[in-house]
Amino acid sequence: MKRFTLFLSLLVALSVILSACAPAVEAPPAATDAPATDAPATAAPTEPPAAPLVLKIANSANITTWDPIASFSTEASYLANSYEQLLRINPPGSAETYTPLLAESWEVSADGLAYTFHLRSGVKFHDGEPMNAAAVKASIDAAVERAGASFIWLPLDNVEVVDDSTVKFNLKWAAPVDLIASSLYGAWIVSPKALEAGAADETFWADGKSYGTGPYMVESYTPDAEIVFTQNTEYWGGWEAGQYEKVVVSIVPEATTRQQMLEGGEVELAAGLPADNIAAFDNDPNYTVFREPSFFNYVGFFNTLKAPLDDVKVRQALSYAIPYDDIIAIGANGLGTQSYGPVPAGVFPWDDSVFRYSYDLDKAKALLKEAGHEGGGFSIRLTYASENAVEAAFAPLIKDSFAQIGVDVTVEPLAFGQQWELAKTDPATAQDMFLLLYWPTYSDAGADNMWSMFYAGAEPPYLNATKFNLSYWKNDEYNALMDVAGAITATDYAGSKAKYVEANKLLVEEAPAVFFFDTMAVFVVPKSIEGFKYNLNYPFVHYFFYQLRAAK
Amino acid sequence: MQRLEFILRRLLTSIFVLLGVSVITFFIARVAPNDAAAMYIGPKARQEDIDRVTKQLGLDKPLPVQYVIYMQELSRGDLGTSIATKRPVLQELTGRLPATLELLFFGMFLAAAIGVPLGVLSAQSQGKLPDLAVRSLSIIGVSMPAFFLGLILQIIFFRNLELLPLAGRVDADLRFTDPLTKITDFILLDSFLTSNWVTLKDAFLHLILPAVTLSAYPTGLIARMTRAAMLETLEQDYIRTAKAYGIKQRVIIYLYALKNAISPTLTVLGLTFAFALTGTFFVEIIFNWPGLGLFTVRSLLSLDYPAIMGMTLFGATGYVLINLVVDILQAWVDPRISLK
Repeated sequence: MKRFTLFLSLLVALSVILSACAPAVEAPPAATDAPATDAPATAAPTEPPAAPLVLKIANSANITTWDPIASFSTEASYLANSYEQLLRINPPGSAETYTPLLAESWEVSADGLAYTFHLRSGVKFHDGEPMNAAAVKASIDAAVERAGASFIWLPLDNVEVVDDSTVKFNLKWAAPVDLIASSLYGAWIVSPKALEAGAADETFWADGKSYGTGPYMVESYTPDAEIVFTQNTEYWGGWEAGQYEKVVVSIVPEATTRQQMLEGGEVELAAGLPADNIAAFDNDPNYTVFREPSFFNYVGFFNTLKAPLDDVKVRQALSYAIPYDDIIAIGANGLGTQSYGPVPAGVFPWDDSVFRYSYDLDKAKALLKEAGHEGGGFSIRLTYASENAVEAAFAPLIKDSFAQIGVDVTVEPLAFGQQWELAKTDPATAQDMFLLLYWPTYSDAGADNMWSMFYAGAEPPYLNATKFNLSYWKNDEYNALMDVAGAITATDYAGSKAKYVEANKLLVEEAPAVFFFDTMAVFVVPKSIEGFKYNLNYPFVHYFFYQLRAAK
Repeated sequence: MQRLEFILRRLLTSIFVLLGVSVITFFIARVAPNDAAAMYIGPKARQEDIDRVTKQLGLDKPLPVQYVIYMQELSRGDLGTSIATKRPVLQELTGRLPATLELLFFGMFLAAAIGVPLGVLSAQSQGKLPDLAVRSLSIIGVSMPAFFLGLILQIIFFRNLELLPLAGRVDADLRFTDPLTKITDFILLDSFLTSNWVTLKDAFLHLILPAVTLSAYPTGLIARMTRAAMLETLEQDYIRTAKAYGIKQRVIIYLYALKNAISPTLTVLGLTFAFALTGTFFVEIIFNWPGLGLFTVRSLLSLDYPAIMGMTLFGATGYVLINLVVDILQAWVDPRISLK
């Protein structure tokens, strides 16, 4: 007992000493509580500095890397506010296709093999380095060499510095460089000094400091917790009243917590609310709910190298046995639309003339009979990514429905990395059906989906460069159509689209995969914030902070 | 002298325990089919990039060689680089440790401060109403899942009563009005040391709900443990003797009986503490507490093997050290226990 008392008194003594030693930094009284007695009597009667205009956001998007060249994941939501590309692509239906960012204007040679960009002058990176032709070349060269999305630059031969404010992209084959340069991945223009430092030291980027030209700079970063942005006062676009001086992003993985933070007023914006709770905001006069098409979609690959899925009739039968409406209703709370092949609705080269399978069990049974599998009698192993709650919700519906046509399904959740690894190793022992949430890399949305998921490599199992054609499907006619369409995209847009649509129709007919649905993006924005504009082409950028303004 | 020898011997055997843990974790983490290089560089990478990273990460070498390399680097204090975050694992751990420890210390303090008196009360009134109440309460505390209790507390204290903040360690606004000077990264301690009372109060309010949620399980356990140990002790002859001498009931219970009954409670407290170092995932995710639990689960899900290794070794070291401290404490409160 005595020892305890001694310990206690020591503790008290220690705390007294510590507080006495503490530097006499007087915190400025907060605006909310200012009893006069709190302020030291001797304090000068100066006003406390006005609190800056702060926007608080809760977002689940986490940082996998701050290196803008390597970035290929959710951090794009933040990088897009600190870094800029040469061009930004506008949402479908805009008057102009592009908004010029670091390039003021550009032209393409007649053969489509050279793009010349004229750069905005007087722009500086966050570290004070000038943004010029050499910086653009350094950034693109770095992207070609080591970007997560380096393959977008495959058509590029070299970047040529014409003069200080002019760069020329020389191509190996005609390709839409304006589109590629507006990509969310692998196209940021970064301070050359930072690129050098990053090349010498892998951990250079870890602290989150930004080295772009964008309107907001990263002020501080606490992993898994918080990112604080502050205005880049020298931003070339200028600033006006109402734009936020600071943006504080809390990284909150749990959707219901984000919703509570929004409703409790701890944040003004919350990205990614629980889908089943969105309806509550529809009736709230303080919020506007935006339901927008997105270019994420769900695909289910059939293993076309394995019997009986190597038979097109069987694949068609199974495509008719998918309860599309129920899957959208239960898997995505109604926030989706059935897909037209792998191309998400509304983006190039989407077209509504592409066939969509209906839910028709009689047709499915008839097709199975034709294929010599009357009454089913075979079983299928279906894998999905266990971290994806949507897939977990709708996978059982496939099992139930297939059971009605006599096909037995084993549903197997795997961590995405394992699921993918299993699929890539050996088709003979791999899954029969692979559920995948896919999104294109750059704004060439639908075409990327058709290339990455269905263009076949030469050797079995026909995996191509991206390793996402997990139906191992090889169709020479499809490949030929794609080759033609790809080669003329830059020079003959309409002709290219026609070829893509033809390929897409063939694809749906051959049914190497089930095309479930395109997802919808939902944004709940309070009336106190103006200027929010959704851009389908940048699905990972929830908010461009620069567009937002506090309502008066 | 005997105590010092005991500590040294325990530390020495711990090294073998940790070696065993490292071997098992290293190989189990690598048995699961997963291409770490592909994870490192991200999806859609070209094969030559994957090959380059495979080489760079040393994944092309046989597993035993990789293990030896890992251990060599570990002996230099290098835990490797996380596949998922690309930051040094050591930096990831130390950066998150203060948040976890702050929560843990407070939660365990609550558990002990509430659990022990409840257990004593329960033992004192064995079979009567208070005993029944405490026993029911401790069963609820032990069996209530943290993710449920946390949400209920949030709804009551944040949503309905608007008394306590929802999540996080400190209000985001404070960084602009009352910026905190970082010294130790323990927000409570830092704000106290720099006399930043606004932040201190805010951080304390933020701590209450997660700490209460975290303490529910150990509180129940400690109450039950204390009750059982007290009942046994109160039956002892020396207690009857003390009663016969006319010593006050309160002194008998809290001074003579509790001191002998406290050892199992200490063990429970120690083990829960060690477990909670890396195991408070539910509390952390619900209260968005940037601690080690969140990081552990994220590393496990992405099969980020350097991070998994780091976490496991760190957790195992925690267990070993805390157990040692508990043993020493037990010998201190109960001289019958000798350190051999």
